[in-house]
Amino acid sequence: MINYVLRRVLVAVPMLLGAMSIVFFAMRVLPGDPCVAMMGDQATTEALADCTKNLGLNRPLAVQYVDYLWRSVQFDFGNSLRQGYPVSEYISRMFPHTLVLVLAAAVVAALVGVPIGIFSALNRRNPLIDYPLRIFALLGLSMPVFWLGILLLIVFSLRLDLFPLIGGGDLDGAIAMIRSGEVFTQPRDFLAAVADVLHHLALPALALGFTLAATVSRLSRSAMLEVISQDYIRTARAKGHHERAVVYKHALRNMMVPLLTIIGLFVAIALTGTVLTETVFTRPGLGKMLVDAIGARDYPLAQGAITVFTVIIITVNLVVDMLYAVVDPRITYR
Amino acid sequence: MAIQPIRGGSLSEAEVTTAPRVAWPAPAERSESPLVQGLRRLRRSGTALVGVVIVVLLVTVAIFADVLAPQSPIASDQAHTFARPSWDHPLGTDQLGRDMLSRVIHGTRISLLVGVSSVLLALFVGVPFGMIAGFYGGRVDTLIMRVMDLILAFPIYLLAIILMVMFTPTAGLIGTMKVTGAIAIVRIPIYARLVRGSVLSIKEKEYVEACRALGVRDPWILFRHVLPNCLAPIIVTTTLGIATSIIVEATLSFLGLGTQPPTPSWGWDLKANISFIQANAWLSLFPGLAIFVTVLGFNLFGDGLRDALDPRLK
Repeated sequence: MINYVLRRVLVAVPMLLGAMSIVFFAMRVLPGDPCVAMMGDQATTEALADCTKNLGLNRPLAVQYVDYLWRSVQFDFGNSLRQGYPVSEYISRMFPHTLVLVLAAAVVAALVGVPIGIFSALNRRNPLIDYPLRIFALLGLSMPVFWLGILLLIVFSLRLDLFPLIGGGDLDGAIAMIRSGEVFTQPRDFLAAVADVLHHLALPALALGFTLAATVSRLSRSAMLEVISQDYIRTARAKGHHERAVVYKHALRNMMVPLLTIIGLFVAIALTGTVLTETVFTRPGLGKMLVDAIGARDYPLAQGAITVFTVIIITVNLVVDMLYAVVDPRITYR
Repeated sequence: MAIQPIRGGSLSEAEVTTAPRVAWPAPAERSESPLVQGLRRLRRSGTALVGVVIVVLLVTVAIFADVLAPQSPIASDQAHTFARPSWDHPLGTDQLGRDMLSRVIHGTRISLLVGVSSVLLALFVGVPFGMIAGFYGGRVDTLIMRVMDLILAFPIYLLAIILMVMFTPTAGLIGTMKVTGAIAIVRIPIYARLVRGSVLSIKEKEYVEACRALGVRDPWILFRHVLPNCLAPIIVTTTLGIATSIIVEATLSFLGLGTQPPTPSWGWDLKANISFIQANAWLSLFPGLAIFVTVLGFNLFGDGLRDALDPRLK
């Protein structure tokens, strides 16, 4: 077991290194001098040279590369070219917004997708049930999240005026209250902040959640189909178990392994989904930060955001791989 | 006297096809290939037919866009900006007074062009790599698949964004080629993995061994005997892949990293019109609807193909 964990970590490390290298070199081959981007076309040659020296861009590429890796490990991505604040500060401020969105979307996707997938698998011989559910999944798969977002905005924000059009709510306030302990002294303010966050969160979470629900329902449908055709299910049925007991006691538990795979995939899809969702709903977050940084040619900021995205996804997949061993003791590892 | 090297198979490939002159019981009737059987099954699937109809319609619209569009998609009319839907402009006009219906019709072109060509490009690179990796195994396999794993470590949208930032989006044909290339790179591992998996099992089959025993050369085995036998999953993945590519193109354009103006593109139109959503909400409806219907068409078609060609995948 420990052997396996070590092996997986060792495989993940070159993966991370490779991904970070791609990000680094991608940012280096970009046209345009970051110093020109920062200081404008009017800057003097001396000023530009000075800036290049300050940013360490006059050093050999290999040195810059090692420096980038070393500083990334320490969560130091340099300063934003536009505002001048450390990139890590932006990331830690934006991260909670994105995390909340991913979690809320995950809840929506799980609540909608998993029951639909299981129901559809169990009733696969009944075309009146299976067919519409599969069509639903296809509709969801074909729906671009940004368009669904726009539709929700038009109906629920503009026409019905139920939800705000932009913004992410007072998440910073809520977090600050948790940190300072005001949660207990002023619970009413805290609840108001949470309500504000949820109010802003509802539409984005629905948009992202519904598009993800399609994928989730498909994956859980095939996972259920795989489990339900196993011998032990037949045995359970042969023993005279009630169908419900068969599904909940025997099938569902054994769905854990495929379910883990789903979670791993899910995080990757959801994280990239936030880029679009946050853009459409003008919500603060890592995804919107990335898009804005690219638009403003703020390369350190973009580099930081991409690095964080990649690290999260690789780490989640690593953890999922390890959890396989915990969930299913039969899985053997070389 | 020079010693003649010992040769194994004396039959060259050309001879093999004509050589056997034994009395072989001729089949009474030429049996149908699995592909034909699959297509026969496809005809019976209702959803797949809906998909086929959508796809055929879209291709028609793309080809005859110049005839079908009532106006030029790029001619602006400053006197009629933000016109509401009317007989003159069935879907209204945008901020520059351009006819939305014409823009949506012309947008079909770029969407299908990028969608199909990026998948074909990915196919032509990914399939040979997958075949080589699966067939030869060993170090070549490890090298190819590690690179593929590295590409797969990025979610497709994120990598497509990174690539387009590197390529810097531009207008015109070159810009379109950049988008196509970026999406193709992202999609290569899908085909390499798929083909590698199929080849791994096919290369153990008796008929491949038979070819080897006859001294058939590797490329001939690969293209003549291995490739046709992993065609079904490739066809299915390609069709569904077009749907994905179209969504990725729309996404990139929506973020301003894909197709650039003046080329009409659904993603860009959504991006441009979302700023006016408060007063002119209808402008955001139709480009998105076009993306949705197109992707749905290819998904329905691909789903039906999968059921028809490979019942195991169901």
